[in-house]
Amino acid sequence: MAGIEKVAVIGAGVMGAAIAAHVANSGTKVLLLDIVPEGAANRNALADGALARMQKADPAPFMGRKAARLMETGNLEDDLERLAEADWIIEAVIERLDIKQGLYRRIEGARKPGSIVSSNTSTIPLATLVGGLSESFAQDFLITHFFNPPRYMRLMELVTGAATRAEAAEVITDFADKRLGKTVIRAKDTPSFIGNRLGVYWLQKAVIEAAERGIPVEQADALIGKPFGIPKTGVFGLLDLVGLDLMPHVNASLAAALPQSDAFHTANRPLPIVQKMISEGYTGRKGKGGFYRLNREGGQKVKEAVDLSSGHYAKARKPRSDAMDEAGRSPRALMAHDSAEGRYAADVMGATLRYAAELAGEVADSIADIDEAMCLGYGWKDGPFALMDKIGPDWLAERLEAEGETVPPILDLARGRSFYRVEAGKLEQLGLDGAYHPVTRPEGVLLLSDIKCGAKPVLKNGSAAVWDIGDGVLCFEFTSKMNSMDDQIMALLAKTLKLVEAEYKALVIHNEGTNFSVGANLGLAFFAANIAAWDQIESLVSFGQKTFQDMRNAPFPVVGAPSGMALGGGCEVLLHCDAVQAHAESYIGLVEVGVGLIPGWGGCTEMLHRWQKFGRLPKGPMPAPSKVFEILSTATVAKSAAEAKELLFLRPEDGITMNRARLLADAKARALAMVEGYIPPEARDYTLPGPSGLVAMEMAVQQFRKVGKATPYDEIVSGALAEVLSGGDTDPIDTLTEADLLKLERDRFFTLVKRPGTLDRIETMLMTGKPLRN
Amino acid sequence: MADYTPPLRDMRFVYHELLGCDDLAELPGFEEFTADLIDPILEEAGKICAEVLHPINRSGDEEGCRLENGVVRTPAGFPEAYRQFREGGWTAITCDPEYGGQGLPAAADVLVTEMICSANLSFGMYPGLSHGAYLALHSHGSEELKRAYLPKLVDGTWSGTMCLTEPHCGTDLGLLRTKAEPQDDGSFRVTGTKIFISAGEHDLTENIIHLVLARLPDAPKGSRGISLFVVPKFLPTAEGTPGERNGVMCSSIEHKMGIKASSTCVMNFDEAQGWLVGAPHKGLQAMFTMMNNERLAVGGQGLGLAEAAYQGSVAYARERLQGRSLTGTKAPDKPADPIIVHPDVRRMLLLQRAATEGCRAMAVWVAKELDKQERHPEPEVRKASEDFVALMTPIVKALFTDLGFENANLGMQVLGGHGYIREHGMEQYVRDARITQIYEGTNGIQALDLVGRKLGANGGRYLRRFFHPVAEYIEGHAETPEMAPYIAPLAKAFGRLQTATGTVAQRGLANPDEAGAAATDYMRLFGLTALGYLWARMAETAMAKSRESGDADGFYAAKQVTARFYMERVLPQTGALLSQIMAGGQTLMALDEAAF
Repeated sequence: MAGIEKVAVIGAGVMGAAIAAHVANSGTKVLLLDIVPEGAANRNALADGALARMQKADPAPFMGRKAARLMETGNLEDDLERLAEADWIIEAVIERLDIKQGLYRRIEGARKPGSIVSSNTSTIPLATLVGGLSESFAQDFLITHFFNPPRYMRLMELVTGAATRAEAAEVITDFADKRLGKTVIRAKDTPSFIGNRLGVYWLQKAVIEAAERGIPVEQADALIGKPFGIPKTGVFGLLDLVGLDLMPHVNASLAAALPQSDAFHTANRPLPIVQKMISEGYTGRKGKGGFYRLNREGGQKVKEAVDLSSGHYAKARKPRSDAMDEAGRSPRALMAHDSAEGRYAADVMGATLRYAAELAGEVADSIADIDEAMCLGYGWKDGPFALMDKIGPDWLAERLEAEGETVPPILDLARGRSFYRVEAGKLEQLGLDGAYHPVTRPEGVLLLSDIKCGAKPVLKNGSAAVWDIGDGVLCFEFTSKMNSMDDQIMALLAKTLKLVEAEYKALVIHNEGTNFSVGANLGLAFFAANIAAWDQIESLVSFGQKTFQDMRNAPFPVVGAPSGMALGGGCEVLLHCDAVQAHAESYIGLVEVGVGLIPGWGGCTEMLHRWQKFGRLPKGPMPAPSKVFEILSTATVAKSAAEAKELLFLRPEDGITMNRARLLADAKARALAMVEGYIPPEARDYTLPGPSGLVAMEMAVQQFRKVGKATPYDEIVSGALAEVLSGGDTDPIDTLTEADLLKLERDRFFTLVKRPGTLDRIETMLMTGKPLRN
Repeated sequence: MADYTPPLRDMRFVYHELLGCDDLAELPGFEEFTADLIDPILEEAGKICAEVLHPINRSGDEEGCRLENGVVRTPAGFPEAYRQFREGGWTAITCDPEYGGQGLPAAADVLVTEMICSANLSFGMYPGLSHGAYLALHSHGSEELKRAYLPKLVDGTWSGTMCLTEPHCGTDLGLLRTKAEPQDDGSFRVTGTKIFISAGEHDLTENIIHLVLARLPDAPKGSRGISLFVVPKFLPTAEGTPGERNGVMCSSIEHKMGIKASSTCVMNFDEAQGWLVGAPHKGLQAMFTMMNNERLAVGGQGLGLAEAAYQGSVAYARERLQGRSLTGTKAPDKPADPIIVHPDVRRMLLLQRAATEGCRAMAVWVAKELDKQERHPEPEVRKASEDFVALMTPIVKALFTDLGFENANLGMQVLGGHGYIREHGMEQYVRDARITQIYEGTNGIQALDLVGRKLGANGGRYLRRFFHPVAEYIEGHAETPEMAPYIAPLAKAFGRLQTATGTVAQRGLANPDEAGAAATDYMRLFGLTALGYLWARMAETAMAKSRESGDADGFYAAKQVTARFYMERVLPQTGALLSQIMAGGQTLMALDEAAF
C-alpha cells in the first residue's frame, strides 16, 4: 500500500472531530461521520455541528482555513459506502464494546480491501475489540490512541494485536509521525496502555492522599507540580481541565481490568467529595467549576479552591510551606522534608515512581517509552525514570524499603547506578536485563539534545551556543532565559557568521526550548532605560540591525527552524533568514506594540518588503504599508506556521515540518540544498506613500479609539509605527533604501523607549506577564 | 566648647531657593506652610537648639545616664530641657493634627532634626524614638490604640521606643525569640529580653510606650512569623493617665563610646501586657514603616554632627595662631597667622563644608519627595516619589553618617591635640558620630539594601526616579557655558554610576556575592554622584540668585566656590570607586576562612 491519502473518522465527539481536524492539518482529505440524530432535519447535524464549533474554538483544532476546507462531513447511513474512499478509518465513538463492534461490522462491509482501521479507545484492549471479527479485519486493525487535544498533544500510543499486519503498523506510524507530527510510542495491549495507566494512578493517589490527610488543593498542586517538573496545574488543576466526571468512569474501568495484585486497587479508595461535586455540577472547567472555580460575585473574578473535607469554597491561597522553601529545587529534599507536606510529596511521588518501575516491561518495551509517554502525554519535564535519576534510585529504593514496600526489579537493578547514562556520546537506558541499551530515534530524527550529549559547542557565551550538526552545517542555539534576545546573542551571532563563512557551508538557527524566542530581553532594555543608558540601548538596536543585515547578506544560506513562540526579536531573526523551516506549531508575530515599542531590528522594513513582493495587493505605494500596519499595530501572532504564511511572517516557499523531532533534520537538509550556487538576496528599495499615508493610518487608529478598541497610548505607539511604515517624510516619487528605513525604525524606537507610557507597559509585562492597556 | 549657630541662611537657600519647597503649600494639608511660617519655625527651632540643648551637650556627655533601682536618671538639665522642648511643641511639629500635631512638612522637619542633632545628639534620641513609635502606631494601630497613645506621644508627655534587638539577633530579626501569648481579653502577655533599647527607661516622661517585636505561639519560622505589639511601661487608665506598672523593667544600661546621655537599656519583658499592632505575623512590615523613617532621621544625625564639626573647626582655625602662611605673613599684627591660611587646613574645612551643605540639600530633596509621596493628589506622582524615597533612604542613612563621622574626624585633625582632649568637644562628635554608622542597620546593611532590594526592584524602576532627572539635567545644561565647570564633571561621574549600576545588576544576578562585594563602594559612588548633581544645581541657583538680587553677604559666591571645590576635589573619587567596583569580588572571596 502506497500511503494514506484519505482518512475517515467516525464519531464527531470531542476527540473524533479534533482528530479529523488534525488529519486535515496535515493536508490530507478527511471525512467525518456520525450517526443521524433522531428526527434531525440535517442528517449530518453532528459532524456539521462539530465542524462549526471547531472553526470557532480556541485553542483552534485547525491550523488554518485551508485545513478546514479539507474536511467533509457526512453521516453513517447515507455515506457509509464512502468509507471505501479511505485508506485509514479511525473509530472514535463511545467506549462501549457492543457499539464499537457493531460499527466494525458495518465498516467491514464498506471499506476497501487493505485499508487500515484503528480505534481511539483508551480503555478497551485490542484483543477484546477484535474478538469475534474476521481475520482480515483483525489484520488491518490497530489502536491509535491520541491525547486531548489531538492537534497539540504530541503523543500517540500505537497498539497492535497478534494478527495485525506489520505493514499496517508501519504505514500508520509513518503517517502519524511525519504527517501528523506525533511521537508514536508502541504500547502493549494492556489496560489504559502507558500514559493513562500511570497518569490515572498518579492522579488518584495524589487526590486521595490529599483528601485523607487534609492537604489543601492549592498546597497539593504546588507540591506535586513544579518541584517534580510537572506542569503547575498539578493534579487538581489538571483534573479540572479533563473533567471530574471522567474520574469515576476511568477508575472503574481500570479497576475492572487490572488484576487484584495491581497497586492501583489500594489507591482506588472511594472519594465521596468528588461524587458530591459531580452531582452538584462541579465537573471542572466545562462545568460550574471544579476543585478550583472563579467566583464572579460582585463583579470581580476571585479564584477559589474547594475544601476537600467540607466541600466549601474559599479564596484560593498562595501555598507556601517550609518544605518547599527549604527544599529549593531539589525534589529529593522535598520528599525528605520532615513535615506533613514533605511526607505527602514523598508518599504520592514515591508510590507513583514505584508504580512506573513496576510497569516497566509490562506496558512498553523500554523505560524511555514510558518516560516519553509521560512527557508528551502529561507534560512532565522528566519522565518517571529520568525523575528517579534526579532523586537517586538508591535513596528511593531505601525509602520504599523503610516503608515496607517491595522494590520493583528495575529499580533494584538501578541501584548504585542510574536509569540513563551517556556512553561514548550516546544516550543509553537501563533494560530489564540489567544492561544498558541505546535510546534509539526514528530515521530522520536529529535532536540537538542528542548532539549535545557527545560534543562540545563550537562557540559559546552566556546566552547562546553553536553546535556542529555535521555535513558542514552549524546550529546556532539560544540558551538565554526564555531564549530572549540580548547583546550576547547578537555578539555570538556576529562571530558565528564569520566562522561559517570561513569554515562551514551553512547555518541553522534552532533550539529545543518550548519557545524559539519570546523576543528581546525586555528586562535588560528596561533596566538600561531606567538608568538612562540610552547609548547602550542605541547600540543594542543598531548592532542588532547590522548583525541581521550581515546574516542575510552572508555568502552562505541561513535557515531558521522555530517551534513554539517566535515573537518580537525572535520573529525578526527569522525574517532575516534566507529560508525558514518551521515546526507546524510555530506562533510567529511582531508584538512590540504591546510593550509600547515598534520592531527595531528590521522587522518593519522586512515586512514592508514582503508585502510589496508577495502580498498580491493592489498596485501603488499604500496597500503594503496599510497591510503591515494592520498586522503590527494589533500585535497579530500567527497561531500556526500555516497562518504565519498567510501573514507573510513566513514566505510562500518556506517549509513546514509537522513533527518537532524532525525539524532540525529538515532544516539542515534545506540548508544543504541551498548551498550549491547560493547567491545572497539583492538589495531592495522601497516606494512609500509618505505623509499622506501616515494620515490614512492615523485616521484608522482614531477610529479604533472612538469605538474603544484602542487606548490613548496605543495612538502614540501606532503613530510611531505609521511614521516608519509610511516612509517618514518621503514622497511616492522617491525611492528609499533599506538603510533609510532602518534608520527610521531606530529613530522611532528611541522616541518611544524614552516615554513613560512605554516604560509602564514594559514594567507591567515584566512584572505580571500581561500587557498594560494604558 | 564652640558655640553653635543654626545655619539658617543656608537652610533658607536650600528650602526656598534651591528646591522651591514653598510649593508644598499647594498640597492638601500643607496650605499654611508658606515661607512666612516656615522661616519663623526654623528660627525658633534654632533658638531652642542653640540656647537650651547645646549648652548641656558636653555636660551630658561627661555625666552620662545612671541606673538607680530600675530607674534611669538622665544627666543634669535634661529633664528641664525636655520640659521646655515639649512645651515649645517640638515633639508635635510633624505629627497628624488629628492627634494634636502641627503637620509640618518633612522638608522643613529635616532641618529641625539637623539642628537638634547638631546641638545635642543624645537629647535628640528621646523625641526621635518617640516619633518612630508614633509613626508605627499611626500607620498600623487600631483606632482604639491610636486614641489611647497618640495624643500623649504627640504632646510629648509620654515617649516611645522600638524594641527589636535581642542578645542573639540584631540584623537578622528572623531569629528573634520574644514571645507573646494571647489572653482572653484580646491582649497579649509579652515575655523576653531586648537589648540596645534607646530611651528604654528614663526620667523625662511620665510613661514610656514600647513597640515590641515578638512571636505569637502559632507563628511561622523566620521573619514571616513576627508580630508587633505595643507595651506601655504604665498601663493607661480610662482617663488616659499612667496606671498600673506593667511587667517591663530596665535591668541595666550600656556603657558606650558615645551618646552617653542617651540611655541604652536592656529591657526585660515578663508577661508584660501588650496589644497587637497591625495584623498577626506582619510585624516586620509595620516596623519597616518606622525603620525607614528612622533611617532618614539617622541620616539627619550624621548631617547635624557634620555641621557641628564644621562650625567647631572653622572657629578654631580662625582663632588658633601658629606659624606663618607659606606665601608670606597674613596677620602681621599677631604673633602668628591663624591656621586657616594653610591650604591643607582649608582642604579640610572645604571637605567638611561641601559635605555638610551637599547633604543638607539632599536631605530636603528626599524629604520633599516624602511629602509628595504622602500628600500629592496624583497617584502617579505619589508612586514616583515613593520609589525615589525608597531608593534614597539607604543612601541618606549611610552617606550622611559616613560623612558626619569623616567631618568630625577632620575636625579633630584641624584642632590637633586640642581636638583629642575633651575640652573643645570635638572628640565627643567623633564618638557620637560613630554610632550613627552602626545603628538602624549598619552602613554595610544599607549598602546591601541598596544593591539587593532597591537596584533591581521592579526591573530598576526605582532607579529611574533618580537617573532620569539627572540625565535630563545634564542634557539640558550641556550647552550652557557658565555651567560647564559643573556639568562636565557631573556627566563623568554620572556615566560612571551608570556603568557601575549596569555592572552590579548584571553580575549580581549571576552571583549575589558580586553585588555584596560591590555594595559599599557602589553606595558611595551613588551618594557622591547625587551630591554632585545637587552641587551643580546649587551653583546654578546661586548664579541665578546673585544675578537677580545681588550677593551682599557673599553667600552665593561662596556657594559657587564650594561647588567648584566639590567638582574638582571630591567628585573625582568616583573614578577610583568605579575601578574598585569593576575589579569584582574575587579577591574578597578567594581566601579560605582559615586563612584569616
